[in-house]
Amino acid sequence: MKKTTDSQRKTGRFSLLLSIIFIFGVFGAIICSVSQKISREMSSSAIQNLSESLDLIQSTIEAILRSEADFQKLIAKEIARSEDPEAYIRVYEKNQTMAKLSLIRSGRTEGVSNTGDLFTAEGLDFSAGRTVADLPVSQSYINYMGTWAYTMRCPVERNGQVIGELYAEYVYDSIDQSLPDGFYNKQASLYIMDAESQRFVLKPKGMGKRSAGHLNLTDFYRANNIEASDIRAEVDACLESGEDILFYHDIRNVQALNYIWAVNGGTIFLVGYVPVEAIQQEGRTVNQNIAIVVGSMLVAFFLCIALYYLSRRQQDRIRREQEEERRLHNQQLSEALQAAQIASESKTTFLSNMSHDIRTPMNAVLGFAALLNKEAENPARVREYTGKIMASGQHLLNLINDILDVSKIESGKVVLNLEKFALNDVVSSVDAIIQPMAKARGQAFHIEVTGIRHEYLVGDELRINQILLNLLSNAVKYTPVGGSIWLRIIGLKQRSSQYEHIRIEVEDNGYGMTPEYLEKLFDAFTRAENSTTNKVQGTGLGMAITKSIVELMGGTIEVFSEVDRGSLFRVDLELRILEGAADRRFWEQHGVSRILAVGAAPEHLESARAVMEEAGLQLNAVSCWEEARDQAGACQLVLVDWEVCGLSAVRAIRGALGEDVPIVVLAEYGAQGAEEAAVLPRTGVISKPFFVSAFREKVAELWAEPSRPEDGDVLTGMRFLAAEDNEINAEILEELLAAEGASCEIMSNGLLAVERFRRAGEDEFDAILLDVQMPVMSGHEAVRAIRALEREDAKSIPIIAMTANAFAEDEKAALAAGMNAHVPKPLNMELLKKVLRQQCSRGREAL
Amino acid sequence: MRKWIAAGLAALTVLVLASCSGQEDLKNLVEHKSGEEQVVNLFSPMEKTEPNTENVARTAADLTVAMAEEKLGLTVAYRTYTAEDYQDKTYDDVALDRARNDMDDLYLLNPDTILALGREGKLADLSGLDSAQNLREIIRIANTVDGKLVAIPQEVVAYGLFVNVDLFRKYALALPNTPEEFLECCRVFQENGIETPIGANRWWLETFVFALAYADLYNGGNTEAEIAALNSGEARYSDYMRPGFAFLQTLIDRGYVDAEKALVSEAIEGEGEDFLAGRTPIVMAYWGAANSETAYARTDFEMQVIGFPRSRGQMPVMPMTGWGVGARAEHLEDALEVLDTITSDEALQLYSETNRVISPSRNVHVECVPALKPLNERIEEGVYVLGSNAGMSVEQWGNTCRIVRDLLGGATVESCMASFDALQDAALNES
Repeated sequence: MKKTTDSQRKTGRFSLLLSIIFIFGVFGAIICSVSQKISREMSSSAIQNLSESLDLIQSTIEAILRSEADFQKLIAKEIARSEDPEAYIRVYEKNQTMAKLSLIRSGRTEGVSNTGDLFTAEGLDFSAGRTVADLPVSQSYINYMGTWAYTMRCPVERNGQVIGELYAEYVYDSIDQSLPDGFYNKQASLYIMDAESQRFVLKPKGMGKRSAGHLNLTDFYRANNIEASDIRAEVDACLESGEDILFYHDIRNVQALNYIWAVNGGTIFLVGYVPVEAIQQEGRTVNQNIAIVVGSMLVAFFLCIALYYLSRRQQDRIRREQEEERRLHNQQLSEALQAAQIASESKTTFLSNMSHDIRTPMNAVLGFAALLNKEAENPARVREYTGKIMASGQHLLNLINDILDVSKIESGKVVLNLEKFALNDVVSSVDAIIQPMAKARGQAFHIEVTGIRHEYLVGDELRINQILLNLLSNAVKYTPVGGSIWLRIIGLKQRSSQYEHIRIEVEDNGYGMTPEYLEKLFDAFTRAENSTTNKVQGTGLGMAITKSIVELMGGTIEVFSEVDRGSLFRVDLELRILEGAADRRFWEQHGVSRILAVGAAPEHLESARAVMEEAGLQLNAVSCWEEARDQAGACQLVLVDWEVCGLSAVRAIRGALGEDVPIVVLAEYGAQGAEEAAVLPRTGVISKPFFVSAFREKVAELWAEPSRPEDGDVLTGMRFLAAEDNEINAEILEELLAAEGASCEIMSNGLLAVERFRRAGEDEFDAILLDVQMPVMSGHEAVRAIRALEREDAKSIPIIAMTANAFAEDEKAALAAGMNAHVPKPLNMELLKKVLRQQCSRGREAL
Repeated sequence: MRKWIAAGLAALTVLVLASCSGQEDLKNLVEHKSGEEQVVNLFSPMEKTEPNTENVARTAADLTVAMAEEKLGLTVAYRTYTAEDYQDKTYDDVALDRARNDMDDLYLLNPDTILALGREGKLADLSGLDSAQNLREIIRIANTVDGKLVAIPQEVVAYGLFVNVDLFRKYALALPNTPEEFLECCRVFQENGIETPIGANRWWLETFVFALAYADLYNGGNTEAEIAALNSGEARYSDYMRPGFAFLQTLIDRGYVDAEKALVSEAIEGEGEDFLAGRTPIVMAYWGAANSETAYARTDFEMQVIGFPRSRGQMPVMPMTGWGVGARAEHLEDALEVLDTITSDEALQLYSETNRVISPSRNVHVECVPALKPLNERIEEGVYVLGSNAGMSVEQWGNTCRIVRDLLGGATVESCMASFDALQDAALNES
């Protein structure tokens, strides 16, 4: 079908081309014909014009010759009447026409001349028998003036008797004065040729560039390359008969019209040529104009074709673009449909999973709550069931948090909360969470920190924790019992002096992943499912969240995995370095310049040494206490590796140094017996790996005065004002606080809380707890109203947001509104106690 | 957009109206000539034209004339004459007649004519012209008659022998320096089948005579005294001329020169064809012929121009042709201005560059074509013979030419010498 269409198109184009050629051919033929016709007519007209011009010149010369003859006859009569003809001749003055007048008396061979010389007729040749007005005219000759001349002879008759012959010499120059000053725009040449001698006796005026004209007819032939014998014969015939001749012949490669025009019946001839171009000047102009018109029309025609072609091409292009756009649009639509279908399927699957995942802990909560109801009298059971209920609730909370995280990340609403943090804190908190989980599964969890030059960094600590916990909790989940998990935090070469380049590696020797699964590992709503792992519960969102957070931080995440060999997750992050000047001041304030490290492994100290030296500290490392004994006196601080030295060494050091020098014990997490060392005076324990920041915090603790026990009954006797619109939550809060020995007055919205605080006496409440989303007045409005009250404690009373809006931006908004702290729901009593303790103690300090 | 369309349509309308509207001119349609045209009539010889060729020599003169026309705003009208054959009046005869009858304003004259017309007072004094101040001294002297500078040339005409070097090489001949070497070359050529080794015409054989006659006079260091002796009758022109005529007679006797043909041949016309065809190894001609396409500018063989053989070495012969202005010319002032322009340094530079000739102005120098270098070197050395000298009581160029023709016509050397004696006696009587 397509082949047929192509063939038809080709045939159509060929026909169009043939038609155009045909039209142009006809058009060209017409133009050519018209042009030729015009040329012919113009040429014919010009030849006629030339003939008329030559006739006119011929007539003029003949008139001059006749005048001369008539005048000579008159003089002859005058001479005849003169008594002394010779005297008449002698006094006659020459003029421009008649150069010489001579008389020879009859019967004599010599006569007189007006020049005063003797005159003879010997040099004059009248043999040709040419006459002008019946007077014989001689052949032309160069006269005494050096110019071409001719002589006419006239009999002088007195009383019917010839008494002599009058010879009058005329110069051709006089004829020249009567000829036109060039014709055909001076392109035509005009010679006068003597018929007998064929000498050119008068040449055109102003001969210049083209040498100097011609001597005679032979020279004319030679110079103008007129070699054709037929032309020459025709010319000879015309010369003989005294007729005119006009013929075409190229002169110097230019087509010219040559003419030989008889004057006075062939006594003399006008000879010359004129270029055809000069004759056909008008014709050429007309042809040129026709050519211009035709050219313009052709240009216009082709321009139209070009415009049509361009327009057509543009339309084609637009059509193609539209088609392409449509195709692309369709493709996008198709892809979008496919994506939507996939998403829908994913979400269906997800919802199915969620349904299962939510129902499972919910089932546990409700089930154990029912059991609790039955076994309320059995404290052991109660504790067991509440513990399980709390665990299920916690799982449910995690599930909900993950879903919300994904939702926020996908909608681009996640904002990083960049704050100062210590890498030590991150590692400690992660260690504290993962270590128990690993231990519970009989797994070995190793933490290695190398090459870190700066421990205080700026970043979103919470999110970094989230990354680590996601990766590590997955490692724990997907590593069988007895396996190993490694967390490595490696300081890479800095790309910028302001940023610490950190690589986090989480490796396990667990189940590993298939290549197919690796491809969609970071997609949301996916979870490894096989016979080994389908027992593992999870939302399937953790890796998607992790990747999104890493990328949000400008980092990269890679994964390497082999089935049954394990997995390696590698996260590269660049975190801004916090200025470390405070470090130096800290050590100076505490009078520490030299530290003795006993038994610490070199790898632990390697990065620590660089950091310490930067802070102005000298670190002396020894392998055992015996080696350090001599140096101990010069040190202000001792660091002891618990696993190398043990309790005995710590005690020995303490004994040797007394209580002045603090001792910090570096021990593995949960090391047995380490707590015994901690009870020694001015001795503290920090967990491996070694972080200078942790070390510093511990030193600060040891230097500080003994503080109040933190875990004491911090809330006992305190009184709070709370605003909570949900009755159950209000009840829970009230009960929880009551359990801690505190009392709480609950208002059902913000406005009531504000009013209540306005009416409250000074120090009636230790702090205010505000829900955020409440009817009548929100928590944010309430805090602003409270802070605006004209009470002395309105500005200082701790106000804590207690809300289900648990994201970082919610916390920011709460703080911006005037809250002192933010505690997310569901309520974590430990967190609430910690916050209250901090805020209340600050409040007291401020007072 | 609409504004643009409207503007475009308006412009199109104006264009159509302007191009289609036509108005007949109602005034007198005759083109009136503005004033009387200034004309200067120039008389010069005419060179016969070859088909489809440019006459370079004439073109060079034309260029300077065009320069004058443009500068002075006048027209220079050419009037020409060339004899058809030897029976015709010569150009010199016609020039004399025309000058004597005041037919023209400006004349290109040969040395004898300059002298004759100068002595008759027919030529205007040109010493006041600006261009006259630039003339080389030898040119000034040679063109001064009775204390008046009567002619100024556009080029210094130097005659020499044009030789076909290929033929000399072919017969292992060196270019001749002396008359004896020259005769030997002719002998060898003749023995090798070139019956007439020297191409000649009725005009230029006299250059041989001048070279032999006056080489010592002009190069012997006693020029003025020797000329004075000739003018006073103490020395005889015939004594100087005899060796040259005798040498010429030898050339004729041995058949090296075809006297009969030479006597009826015009310059170049007679001998040029054979020379260009390689049939004649030697001709004599003037400097400009080596540059002119109508003469010997294009040869199929290597050509050199050397001086005439003499015991003093090769000898260029330099007659002085020049432009004269009629003393009673109809357009005297204009003619003088034209002459001043065409002989100015600017015009002579153009002329010399076009024709590659020696300029009469001491301020103009042009490198010559390679063929002319031997001749040019001799001239630059100051070794040459003058073909005419206004300081001599007997006119040289024309008379010698005429007497050489007598020799060609069969007169004896002695009768020719008698003619010189008669001329000298007549001059002595006049003085």
